[in-house]
Amino acid sequence: MRPADRWRQVRDLFERALEQEPADIAAWLDREGVVDRQIRSELLSLLDHHKSAGSFLVEPAADRLPDLMADDRPLEPGQIVGPYSIVREIGRGGMGRVYLATDRRLGRLVALKALAPELTVDPSYRDRLRREARADAALTHPGICTIYALEEIDGDLFIAAEFVDGRTLREEIGGDRRPAAADVVRTARDLADALAHAHSHGITHRDLKPENVMRTKDGRLKILDFGLARIDTAAGATADPLAVHLATGSRPRESIEGHVTQPGAIIGTPAYMAPEQLNGQRADARADVFAFGVLLYEFASGTHPFDAPTPLALVARILESETTPIDRWRPDLPSSLVDVIDRCLRKLPAGRFASAGDIVHALDRIDPARAFGRVATWWRTHQLAVIALYFVACALTWQIKEWRPGITTAIFVATGIAATVSGVFRGHLLFTERVTGTGLAAERRRATTVTLVFDLLVALALAADGAILISLRPLAAVLTIALGVGIALARLVVEPATTAATFRQ
Amino acid sequence: MQLQWPPTVTVNPQHGDADDLMPVVYNELRRLAAGYLRRERPGQTLQATALVHEAYLRLAGAGRPWTDRNHFLGIAARSMRQILVDRARARGAQKRWGGMARVSLTDSLVSGVNDDAMLPALDEALSRLEELDPEQARIVELRYFAGLSVEEAAGALGMSSATLKRRWALARAWLFRELSDQR
Repeated sequence: MRPADRWRQVRDLFERALEQEPADIAAWLDREGVVDRQIRSELLSLLDHHKSAGSFLVEPAADRLPDLMADDRPLEPGQIVGPYSIVREIGRGGMGRVYLATDRRLGRLVALKALAPELTVDPSYRDRLRREARADAALTHPGICTIYALEEIDGDLFIAAEFVDGRTLREEIGGDRRPAAADVVRTARDLADALAHAHSHGITHRDLKPENVMRTKDGRLKILDFGLARIDTAAGATADPLAVHLATGSRPRESIEGHVTQPGAIIGTPAYMAPEQLNGQRADARADVFAFGVLLYEFASGTHPFDAPTPLALVARILESETTPIDRWRPDLPSSLVDVIDRCLRKLPAGRFASAGDIVHALDRIDPARAFGRVATWWRTHQLAVIALYFVACALTWQIKEWRPGITTAIFVATGIAATVSGVFRGHLLFTERVTGTGLAAERRRATTVTLVFDLLVALALAADGAILISLRPLAAVLTIALGVGIALARLVVEPATTAATFRQ
Repeated sequence: MQLQWPPTVTVNPQHGDADDLMPVVYNELRRLAAGYLRRERPGQTLQATALVHEAYLRLAGAGRPWTDRNHFLGIAARSMRQILVDRARARGAQKRWGGMARVSLTDSLVSGVNDDAMLPALDEALSRLEELDPEQARIVELRYFAGLSVEEAAGALGMSSATLKRRWALARAWLFRELSDQR
């Protein structure tokens, strides 16, 4: 018998057996006159498996495969999507793939984010996405990646945003070198500034993490994906923390990138979520403040403040454990920055800064003496050296007045006054920088003109004295003129350089 | 599910190329997805829509002609099988799946088996079944991969619901045995 014939016979017997449901299969087969032993055993085996198959294949595949379809189909380089031409894929972010694309209407490069179709099929969800994109597009700040447009092309949604060329803070944290204290302070300031701008417009980020912050090639920070993260959860459905860690538990690599399979359930890293977010409570700007604290801690130390071997343990640590104080890792950080980070990481939202604006204020009070370390030493040395030169100048003009009385007396008096005024201002700057630490920038601005005018006056006086003295005592005259030139150059060339290096103007 | 075929769109003879047919096909696929949606399993409907969407893209790209609605359903179901299996393979599911015999074959545990990981093995077993009886494979594609109901699948294959039910039971038993024996 051919296998196909045997199969047909088995099939027919199987069907009849199901129909008639005989109590004794062997007896039934005898009655049917089936003698072929192969067919009999095949039928018995199939009926046996039919009984034990349970729900096998009963539910359709797409119902049973939770995330097999979650990935969208990648766009190919050169592909045309509406007005955009795809250049290449540059990443996979929170809501789908991100491409570098050219906007052919304007000829500019954009970052084109293709929203995963499963996120956008629900019309009400689409509507909310539109509203959010509109609100976020209103944010214009150098520290925030600008949203250009929300495009609906052939039923798919795309967000066109500013293309930021650079690297993420995640890459910087992953590097071997830890940033200098001054860089940490600067990063904190820039980030807080951008975040404060959004908070003042009532927009929170909700997914602030090193992957979402980029540093451009010229050193500016840009926060990406502003406000879009919130859309994932805003449907009233708060993220279920259990879903979060279960999802990340099996796929640690993806958890770093974070991705969303369904609205209402963030499948992403819980590592930057505030305790209240993990508890499924409503999160506001203070959740961003918490994430800011975690991010800065990690940026400064290279270590996550709640580092744990598994996502579940990490969540537990965020909810319950206190962190190792950041100054244990980085004793060189200014104490006020340490305090800021510490306050951002409080478990209770009420214990944190109310918004990023308050962080900006707190950072303004940073004690520069500790913040700026060795560069500041140069700036201070410069101030002290110039003050010392004023004394030399006064002594010199007095001596010249003794040698050659006359107009030199007036020069001595002018030098004395100019040196005193300039000296007092420089002393005041040193005091402000070392002791109070607040308003240094304003004081420096005020002092700039004063020191410029009076330093040049001292230099001019010395030059005049030198000219008068040149026939009487040539060596002393040359030294006097040299001192004047030195003071002028110090003010015009050296001081701007040390100041810029110290205060990053 | 009320499937309309031929669809109530007449193809303009001047532009009677495949492009004009695609929206029709897409609508038909959307109705397939509606079959999933009707079951109202929250959270899963999105996957079904994505599956239909990709099946559409594949069918649109393949340019395969189909003769009637049932032929089309067969092609669409096969396309969905390929998509799901490809995706499962791409995720290296085969490696993780140790076969069903490892767990006890009680109903509750079988339902807990990770379908995702099972798909490549199921696909191979289905290809063997297809050699034996192509109709069996069609039934599995329509019921399991395309999610058609017994009545819809019976209609697509031109047999009675009762017959389809029994042959579907046979296919499940056969495949279940194949996968159970794997180690």
